[in-house]
Amino acid sequence: MAIPPVRLKPDTTYPVRLKLDTTCVVTRGALVIAIVAVLAVHSAVAQSTPDRATVLRAAADALGMVRWSDIGAGTTRLPAIDVVNTMEFEGSGTTESAGRAVKTQYHVALGYNPPAMRVEMTRAGPDGGAPQRTIHTVRDTNAWDESEIGAGLAPGKGTATPAAAALRERLLQLWTLPYGVVKAALAAGEKTAVSTEGGATVITFPLSGPLAGITVKAMLDSNNLVTRVETRPDNPALATLATQTEFANYADRAEVLTDIKSPGRMIRKQGGRTLLDIDVKTWETNNPYLVFPVPPNVKTAAN
Amino acid sequence: MRLTASSRIIAAAAALCLLSAAVLAQESSQPRRTTNAPPKPSGPTPRTADGRPDLTGVWNALGDNLNGIPNQIANNGLAIESDRSTRDLHSGRQVATFPRNTTRPQNNEQAERAAALLRRVGSNRPVYKPEYWEMVKNFDHNANEEDPSNNCMPAGIPRAGIPSYIGQMPTYLIFIYPGQGGLIATQTMYRMIPTDGRTHTPLQEIDGSYTGEAIGHWEGDTLVVDSWGFNSNTWFDQIGGYFHSENMHVIERFRREGNTLTWTATVHDPDVLLEPWTTTPRVALLNARPNALLPESLPCSERDLSHIVTKEHH
Repeated sequence: MAIPPVRLKPDTTYPVRLKLDTTCVVTRGALVIAIVAVLAVHSAVAQSTPDRATVLRAAADALGMVRWSDIGAGTTRLPAIDVVNTMEFEGSGTTESAGRAVKTQYHVALGYNPPAMRVEMTRAGPDGGAPQRTIHTVRDTNAWDESEIGAGLAPGKGTATPAAAALRERLLQLWTLPYGVVKAALAAGEKTAVSTEGGATVITFPLSGPLAGITVKAMLDSNNLVTRVETRPDNPALATLATQTEFANYADRAEVLTDIKSPGRMIRKQGGRTLLDIDVKTWETNNPYLVFPVPPNVKTAAN
Repeated sequence: MRLTASSRIIAAAAALCLLSAAVLAQESSQPRRTTNAPPKPSGPTPRTADGRPDLTGVWNALGDNLNGIPNQIANNGLAIESDRSTRDLHSGRQVATFPRNTTRPQNNEQAERAAALLRRVGSNRPVYKPEYWEMVKNFDHNANEEDPSNNCMPAGIPRAGIPSYIGQMPTYLIFIYPGQGGLIATQTMYRMIPTDGRTHTPLQEIDGSYTGEAIGHWEGDTLVVDSWGFNSNTWFDQIGGYFHSENMHVIERFRREGNTLTWTATVHDPDVLLEPWTTTPRVALLNARPNALLPESLPCSERDLSHIVTKEHH
């Protein structure tokens, strides 16, 4: 907000009762103090509101996403780019099922170009029964369940069941992973805000596309790694999309080492419920061969 | 004149400085590209007596290594168009682009790992039948041992990409692909491609080979090279573990515009692929020097594989 100029009435007397010399000295001193104070405040403000580009670059660098190489490039010197596309990780822990924490083997294949994710969960059967396996897949604006990996793509090869109602929840899982947070914050451009809370850097930005209307708030630790991600839908009817996910124990967990750091622990909550608590065993980051073709019947159902 | 010890040190330091300056001057005299977007064509498109575009020439002006292999970094299908903009040519999606971090230079290991990531980041991937997904992933994962080209075998078609030399005659073309080291180590390959209207030998009568049986024809100004009769010893792209069957059928398209040559290849292999796959177009630039020649290919001799102890790609 602009400050309105102060206008003095020309016909008004303003009494000045200070001695001129003293006033002058005091005024100079005050001026110096004021300048120093203003600079200090300005500096403090500058320190407390970090630059958006710097923060996002630091977050991307911390994960190992920003890379360049001159190997095989001859005299070409290209800038750095975001090298994260496909990833695959697996771990074990618990997931919530019917209000109970159930032992789960968790296997995820994902990609960002196109945005896609296949979550394969094998849960311990109730009362020692047979394990239950689910495969939940999403790509762009399509979500479906697979009876086996790649089901529904060829005749006689399993069943793909459209799951349009799960689209946003599945996409949200993809974009709230640390890499998704950095990518989406960069894509949001000037809509992304950075601030500090309790000494921690915070990135806040709106999601777009099918996830429009959801705001993400991500916290970075002192190493600029994403440690907590909160999502908040504008529409109360989408309360199931309000989640909190925590990430910890970052390391390069790939068998083909890439210098990309991935979390070793993930805990996702909704309100007071823990939806997922997983210890990650491996996280392949070398853009492995992972594809997510949409089965014909899922395309048809979407149209 | 005798120099004291300190004088010698100063003289040595001065000489080193001068040497460094000379090296820097030499390096800076070479033009450095900072983008890898496909080059725009310029100049006229020469034509042969029968009116076809003349593809004859040395197509290595974008050479990114000593042997002039065209633009390997662009093989990942990303066009880095400026220091702020990169586009995935297949999906059209933007890829975040940043200045290099000049305060934290990479060592060789970091650069190797980055190169492996960069080569795999593009979105244009063949879609195999689901039963082969794990196999492809494992081939790429274990590429140090599994990649046929790491044992000095021919790259094959279409992995070899754009030939570095094309000679165009009235009824056939000659393609030459120099052997290369570095990213992949392969033998020199050549192809003789008839354009005399003949048809393919029935597939079952062909002994599979690395380059297959290639027959060319013209569709307007585009040269179409139709190949089948391959062995299954090659992968069909630079990375990815993209194996194929002996029933692979490859359609390559070459189109010359001015001093550029645009190439795509479509791979049909219903034995293993869910659908045909087309490479992201690659563009080669004509070497305009009148005395342009292909350098000698050094013999390919694999001596490193037995020393590799990790799965990091090289």
